[in-house]
Amino acid sequence: MPVRVLVADDARFMRQLIREIIEPEGFEVVGEAADGRSVVEEFAKLRPDVVTMDIVMPKRSGIDAVREILALDPGARIAMVSALGQEALVMEALQAGASDYIVKPFKPEAVIATLRKVAEKER
Amino acid sequence: MDPVKYRNLFLEEATEHLGEIGRALLELEKDPRAGEALDLVFRLVHSLKGMAASLGYDALSDLAHRLEDRLGRWRAGGGIDEAGGVTLLFRCLEGLEVMVAAVRETGAAPPPAPELVAALAAAGAPEPEPAKKVRPQPARGAR
Repeated sequence: MPVRVLVADDARFMRQLIREIIEPEGFEVVGEAADGRSVVEEFAKLRPDVVTMDIVMPKRSGIDAVREILALDPGARIAMVSALGQEALVMEALQAGASDYIVKPFKPEAVIATLRKVAEKER
Repeated sequence: MDPVKYRNLFLEEATEHLGEIGRALLELEKDPRAGEALDLVFRLVHSLKGMAASLGYDALSDLAHRLEDRLGRWRAGGGIDEAGGVTLLFRCLEGLEVMVAAVRETGAAPPPAPELVAALAAAGAPEPEPAKKVRPQPARGAR
């Protein structure tokens, strides 16, 4: 069974890049979201195995979206997508309950390894 | 990764972003404390930085990072509180447009104008934080 992933990022470029990195490696991108509100809605609808969550997004930050998703499903597994220089925000997201994080610019092998680790975590 | 495909994707999205930044700067010109416009510029510049870094357009990513850093301080302070701030943003927009146009024409981004970099670092603004190598650890209890 492929790992079902919901990809949240306000940049189409980044969503496409994540999709192309992970799909050949046994992940299935079941949905995409371009803002922090729609990722919560898509999560409720799709119930993916893993969410990749950009931090800086319109309508609601990725960190607020983490909190809302975990309120819906305390076992949700979320990997934050951060940029260099966002260490404090990553820490805040992890404290809010995110499982792990990946850093832009992506190293494909690191993205895959992190998402596999996140997907294997117990719910 | 297909570099041509991603370059085209970058050019398309970056051009949209620059247009949106321009419109937001017109709002900020009227009201330098327009929080929504400042948030929008910050987010778009952040997005531009990430895309440029992903394709190795380091000069573009670096200028965006410096600008993002400056925007972050203005956001934290409740708005653009210094004379010439909005003018500086327009100059940065122009600088980013020149670099994106160069990517379109040559496939590479030239270095930003040194006076622009100096202006961003001026007025007592600290240099942007260097990329730290410290890896934040998941908090106790985080899954």
